[in-house]
Amino acid sequence: MKNFKYFRPKNLDELLAIKNELKEEARLLAGGSNLLVYIKEGSLKSGTLVDIGSLAALKGIREKDGYLEIGAAETIIDIMASPVVSEKLPFLRESLRVFANPLIRNISTVAGNIAEGSPIADTAPLLLVLNSEVVAASITGRRNIPIDDFFISLGKTEIKANEVIITIRIPIPETGRGKFVKLGLRKGTSCSVVSVAVWLIANGRGVEDIRIALGGVAPLPLRAVKTEALFRGKILNEHNIGELALEVTNEITPITDVRGGAAYRSEVSAALLSKAVRECLGMEE
Amino acid sequence: MDVICAGKRSITLKINGRERSLEVRPNEILLNMLRERFNLMGSKYGCGIGECGACTVLLNGRAVLSCQILAISVAGQEITTIEGISRGASHSSHAGTAPAGTLHPAGTLHPAGTLHPLQAAFIEEGAVQCGFCTPGMIISAKALLDKNPDPNNEQIKEAIRGNMCRCTGYTNIISAVKSAAKRMLKE
Repeated sequence: MKNFKYFRPKNLDELLAIKNELKEEARLLAGGSNLLVYIKEGSLKSGTLVDIGSLAALKGIREKDGYLEIGAAETIIDIMASPVVSEKLPFLRESLRVFANPLIRNISTVAGNIAEGSPIADTAPLLLVLNSEVVAASITGRRNIPIDDFFISLGKTEIKANEVIITIRIPIPETGRGKFVKLGLRKGTSCSVVSVAVWLIANGRGVEDIRIALGGVAPLPLRAVKTEALFRGKILNEHNIGELALEVTNEITPITDVRGGAAYRSEVSAALLSKAVRECLGMEE
Repeated sequence: MDVICAGKRSITLKINGRERSLEVRPNEILLNMLRERFNLMGSKYGCGIGECGACTVLLNGRAVLSCQILAISVAGQEITTIEGISRGASHSSHAGTAPAGTLHPAGTLHPAGTLHPLQAAFIEEGAVQCGFCTPGMIISAKALLDKNPDPNNEQIKEAIRGNMCRCTGYTNIISAVKSAAKRMLKE
């Protein structure tokens, strides 16, 4: 417990400089809801805690060039309370209502949620169906990483050791409706067993376009592109939604762990997808 | 550039309305600081992983988990613990050590202070069983009532979603929050 150092950068240049110097040894602390658990349980024994929680350069929620731009240190609660989010992307605000609990939402951030490359990060399916971008910065410059390229393997993301996530960019959708459904072992605070996000652009019940993303069913949060293709162009009704949703079980590779068996996760994935699509169509609420 | 701090660092913060200065280690947990350095024993260490809510305190008016926050990172900010919410209480670091037996049935804690309506309502509604979750519950409820003075049952449930009562006395807890809200609206 004695091997920790602490540093609070005053601006982005200081942050990028220390990240470049220390690489993985620099442990970014925004909300800290994961990092502090690692410190307490002893899986993280040393490092420099780089406190970015109040860094102004990573704050701010704004609309710019048709994108919603969310600073990496913005808390979930501030995103939910943001008038810009409410006006431009109420789907995001509504979806975050099932994120952890108010105590965690008050400190944790979207960037921190996805930064660990966890397959059950609740914001990952949302960012995936919204075609978001992650803006990474280092001392050599910035780059925009499409969310489809962001998750590489379990616990690993596209962010390099000298880079920092500075902004999440979400293109503001002009049409369509979204729904995020999550099954946890209980309502409050629990990690997802399976989560499903859907963005549906429909004409009546005809599917013009659909994007489907799932968490908890593979080593990565993933887009179900084959199932999307099957949905596209279909006129949906009471019967075929469930049949089409069942197809998602062919492109996921769930595991069995303490939160549920693989077969159970498969069944739940199809059921949640069906529910999400129905809710997008206003067939159940 | 600010130096990287390897050893202790001096911080100043406000705890229950009083300015406090102390030296903290980089990895010192806020909850431990409150309990061990200021003897504020109301906030409890439960699960340690952010699932139980027993360590809930207010940080600048927002309910947060004090076992998930480093003391060093709340420098300059304002913390309120269960000891700091009773009215007219001395806010001393030892307020939390007053034995429960000093409670007066009418709800007075001590001649110097009066229970917060939430505290009084928790007693009246029988919302305290083993009591371990109570400080966290009351802090979460206070954060709610400060923003929404007249919440419905769903809003109360949502506000205390991060606080577990393993005696499962949720019904009385919700009644207590409603009753406190009513009382506070009348004041």
